[in-house]
Amino acid sequence: MTIVKPINTVCVVDDDEIYVYGIKKLINLKQLCPNLIEFRNGKDAIEFLMNPENNDQLPDVIFLDITMPIMDGWDFMESYAKIKPQLGKKITVYMVSSSINDADIERAKTISDITDYVVKPVTYDKLLELFQLAA
Amino acid sequence: MTLKTVDTNGLRKRMPDEIYMSIGDNPIGFYALADQYLVNQQLHNLIESTNTGLWERSITTNEAWWSPKFCELLGYAYGELDSNYLTFLQKIVHPHDSEMMFNAFQSHLKTNTTYKVELRLLTKADGYRWYESSGKAWPDKDGELSRMIGGIIDIDAKKRNEIKLKRNEFQLRENNKIAHIGGWEFDIMANELSWSPEVYEIHELEHDGHIDVSNAITFYEPAYRSIITTAVNNAIEHCKAYDLELQLKTAKGNVIWVRTKGVPIIDEHGKCVTLRGIFQNINEAKLRELELHNSVDLLSDQNKRLQNFAHIVSHNLRSHTGNLQFMVNLFDEVDEVSDQKEIFNNIRTISESLANTIEHLNQIVKIQTEISNEKQELSFEHFFNNTLNAIDNNVAETGAIICSDFTSCPTVNYVPAYLESIFLNLITNALKYRHPDRKPQISCKTYLELGHTYLTFADNGLGIDLDKYGDKVFGMYKTFHKNANAKGIGLFITRNQVESLGGTIKIESTVDVGTTFIIKLI
Repeated sequence: MTIVKPINTVCVVDDDEIYVYGIKKLINLKQLCPNLIEFRNGKDAIEFLMNPENNDQLPDVIFLDITMPIMDGWDFMESYAKIKPQLGKKITVYMVSSSINDADIERAKTISDITDYVVKPVTYDKLLELFQLAA
Repeated sequence: MTLKTVDTNGLRKRMPDEIYMSIGDNPIGFYALADQYLVNQQLHNLIESTNTGLWERSITTNEAWWSPKFCELLGYAYGELDSNYLTFLQKIVHPHDSEMMFNAFQSHLKTNTTYKVELRLLTKADGYRWYESSGKAWPDKDGELSRMIGGIIDIDAKKRNEIKLKRNEFQLRENNKIAHIGGWEFDIMANELSWSPEVYEIHELEHDGHIDVSNAITFYEPAYRSIITTAVNNAIEHCKAYDLELQLKTAKGNVIWVRTKGVPIIDEHGKCVTLRGIFQNINEAKLRELELHNSVDLLSDQNKRLQNFAHIVSHNLRSHTGNLQFMVNLFDEVDEVSDQKEIFNNIRTISESLANTIEHLNQIVKIQTEISNEKQELSFEHFFNNTLNAIDNNVAETGAIICSDFTSCPTVNYVPAYLESIFLNLITNALKYRHPDRKPQISCKTYLELGHTYLTFADNGLGIDLDKYGDKVFGMYKTFHKNANAKGIGLFITRNQVESLGGTIKIESTVDVGTTFIIKLI
């Protein structure tokens, strides 16, 4: 089994319920990671990360969508850059979107906190690769 | 009595035998001058040297005499011209000038005005040339005006230049008129501004000659005054030419675009002494240019929206097909029947979402097809009430208080489907994003302003933080509230409908207070 041990918690920030269901199912099925937390928009995710009570539940990897209500992926990254120093944990952020718009891909490249830009749908092989990369 | 006949061949040999003391006393009356002229070598030389040809005619008969110089000026030999005034009038004087000549002659005889005419005479070999002829009638011993004596000079070159100049001036004037262009000059030392007639005309101002620089500048629209003032000062102080397109208000209150160009004239010390320039009415061309700019802006706007739309379509279709692929792959991975059921349910949801997305696309495509539908005179009241009836249940459910006032502008010439859709989207939007703590209040009004029809739509709902989301409010699939039925399509469609008919839509909003849409329909 190619489970990458250090990854203990994955965080999915996405308003697409079917996608979130699929990711959850796949991770469970392949036992990629024991814990998964999910948020439907960027604001809820940021509030969770900022809350000191959640310090021991901080994720190792974040799968971040772009288009979401209330706070989208870009705004999330802005807020994330501000709170990052207080987190005390290295978190790998992947931007995961259906958008193949060059403007989005280029914009993601300019943000240093984003490790990679992944175009949906995410296959099992790709997911595995992302986990290994983050480990 | 000494009657002399002029003999062309023996001209110089024959000397007159009598010298008369004064012309008026000449008893015979006719060849007096000829005699004097030929006899007096000094007088002859003097007259020759001024290039003046002499003539003499009887007023009572048609006898005439043309001096050697006169003949020479016309290219004839002395004596070659018939000694008859009538023949001269008919054959030598230009047909267009004979009447004028006759009138001047009559006027001289009757009222003693100066006889001085400019006329064309037929030369022997050179066609018609311009001459100035002046003369005086003299009385005989009985006091009757019996003959006229005078001289001609050749003014052909001068006259032709004059005519050419006049023609050029005329042409320039006509050109300027056609091009709406005039000239001006500003003498800096004397502080004197002068305008050509066309500049006055462009200003729609009487040509009274009183215009100074500060006065001239007040014709410009306030926004352009500092620009022209700076340009003029720069030209005077730094010898910098300028070429500007500005708006001014004419004396009659018409606002027009003009082009004003100023060039400094510099003296030997490098100092600007005079400003000279052209002034042109470019209103029509400028308005066309601005209109073109607007069209280009509108086109690039539409282009941007289309491109944006293409991205959105791609994104939304991709997200559904991506999920579909995801679920189908997952289906292969799971063994449990319960898992398979779950996944199949998801596939069903995706299929519904896909159908919805396609439906949204249809709505957007419809905007473009409906634009060609005929505009009609529509009653706001009628359409508003119809919309309310259609969503009766929603309104009742929320307990909304809806008031409308279309009295200031009861109708609009619009595409019916659009107006219906605009009302529907605005009302459902207001109900959807109502404030949880209060009953929704919606107020819809129409009014006319500067020839445009406006529709305002105000609610007391959640409001939206425009600093944060301002540019996205009318975007497709943009949602801002945690609202399960928010789709982010309504306002996108409303904006497209409004803009496709040349209108605009604006939003004002305060979080927790409410939102107002201001729509310029046409």
